[in-house]
Amino acid sequence: MDAVQFLQNLLNGISIGSVYAIFALGYTLVFSILGIINFAHGAVFTLGAYLTYSLAVGQFGIGGILADLQIPFQLSFPLSLLIGAILSGVAGVVVERCAFRPLRFRGADPLLALVSSLGVALVTVNVIQYLVGSEIYSFPSDVYGDIRPAFVLHFGEKLVVIRTVQIIIFAVSIVVLALLGYLISWTRIGKALRAVAENASTASLLGINVDRFILYTFFLSGFLGGMAGSLVGTSFGIAGPYFGVAYGLKGLAVIVMGGLGSIPGAVLGGMVIGLAEAFVPADYSAYKEAVAFAFLFVVLLVRPQGLLGRSQIQKV
Amino acid sequence: MEEFLQNYGFLLVTLVQQSLLAMSLYFPLSAGQLSLASPGFYALGGYVAAIMATADYFAPWRDALGWAIFPLEWLIAGLVSALLAFLVGVPALRLRGIYLALATIAFVEILRVVCLNLAITGGAIGIFGIPQLFESRWGYIWIFGPLLVITLIFSYRLDRSRVGRAFKAIREDELAAGAMGINPTHYKVLSFVIGAVLAGIVGAMSAPFLNTWNARQGTFDASISYLAYVLIGGGRSLWGPMLGAVLLASLPELLRPLKDARLIINGMVLVIASIYLPFGIAGALQRLKLSTLKRYASLRGGR
Repeated sequence: MDAVQFLQNLLNGISIGSVYAIFALGYTLVFSILGIINFAHGAVFTLGAYLTYSLAVGQFGIGGILADLQIPFQLSFPLSLLIGAILSGVAGVVVERCAFRPLRFRGADPLLALVSSLGVALVTVNVIQYLVGSEIYSFPSDVYGDIRPAFVLHFGEKLVVIRTVQIIIFAVSIVVLALLGYLISWTRIGKALRAVAENASTASLLGINVDRFILYTFFLSGFLGGMAGSLVGTSFGIAGPYFGVAYGLKGLAVIVMGGLGSIPGAVLGGMVIGLAEAFVPADYSAYKEAVAFAFLFVVLLVRPQGLLGRSQIQKV
Repeated sequence: MEEFLQNYGFLLVTLVQQSLLAMSLYFPLSAGQLSLASPGFYALGGYVAAIMATADYFAPWRDALGWAIFPLEWLIAGLVSALLAFLVGVPALRLRGIYLALATIAFVEILRVVCLNLAITGGAIGIFGIPQLFESRWGYIWIFGPLLVITLIFSYRLDRSRVGRAFKAIREDELAAGAMGINPTHYKVLSFVIGAVLAGIVGAMSAPFLNTWNARQGTFDASISYLAYVLIGGGRSLWGPMLGAVLLASLPELLRPLKDARLIINGMVLVIASIYLPFGIAGALQRLKLSTLKRYASLRGGR
């Protein structure tokens, strides 16, 4: 691999890695507060992509019951992305209400929350399929307005191609990460969220309404998941209602890698896995999907608490 | 009867097969370990059987052994699964909590991607035309049925043995179990390997039953179905996983008239069951029995 190829892979990796990072943050936020993995996160990712598509393009294929429907208004892409993500956040709240809150109030086995969140995921994905069918939807190239599709850097004979979409998803991800970092580190809400994550019962004694902050967390998580789904969808197209499942699983590898419940860890893990995938040689590209999971194994062997995680102290 | 078996034989054998796969999750769960690896070992066992039954390399074996190749396939599938389960289990089971579930998801995904790309597993198309053991689908009840009976007897005996008690102790409190001189990692790996061997053997038996074998056999969706069988049937009772498997695996069949909406209903069943039946159906029945007995006793007592 020469330097130009290296640069190309590096740019591809950073772009997709930044999306993995914001997606994985959605998992991590919920895990840090409830200690449970929300298996409906992949479905929210899918939902976000379809919502943004509906708002920005609004034209459906022939598969589902919305066949040949054309939504009478179209929003600009940035607005669609934002509203799609907000609606995904609302979906996150619905997931909490349906799958997590009833179990928490009954003091049920945390394993059951895996099943109930998977149940919600199954319903969501199949409702989407029912509505819009299982065909591939891709965003038209002019959806971002009148800008050039790619930038080409010349290095003598060699070229490095950066698609505009890659720049957009990187920029959006960085802005989202910065806002989230500000929210969590510098605001009252963030302080309360950190308190709940540290110890929910103490936080509740100090006058924090824990259930409300759990809802906020699910909203943020859904927002990040839906945003990530929309960004992946614009870049690679929406390959049917099940396309979030693969990303959902990959997101798990990312958070284990960074350290369960660690916010900087999720960002670092996302970047590492994005880059690792980008550097898979073309001859082995069929194995690209397994890279994240191979990393997960190595991390479990070498550093089980993850790259930036705190090792857990078992309390008796 | 003939006609009934013609129509429902396949479904009945499938229910037994799914019950066995649910049991393969029950063993690690009885030691408090959530494993989602069963579809991986199931797929692996199926590939072992399919390759041994169709590859040219094994032709002399098949000629020499005749029908005895089938039990040999099961044996080898079980051994390969045990070995791999040991290799996956040791790093993952040193840790507490959700790590085994995540490691097993990774294992299933890696195995799926590898099987999609290797020549020996037939790539994306898979292996087809696997020689049959019986003339009809229904015939396979004669291998799955006895395996289920053996598994149930094994599991019943295990519950009452030293090992079974160690599993339960770890499930209730790993630290306390360790303090009592039980080596948690040792028993956790053992419970995981038992489940893997069962899933591998079921896979090896299923390859001829399903006639074709491909990477779709071991997916995350399948992991979830098996987990749902166990938790909805009742993970703390020997009969729970079977009950869950029979109910949930026949659900799509019962909901067939609903066509596309049936997966939506399937998902709702999972949500509602986890909220209202936290100990599974078997657990709910147990409670009902206890409360009835209490009422009966209080009637007798004349209060």
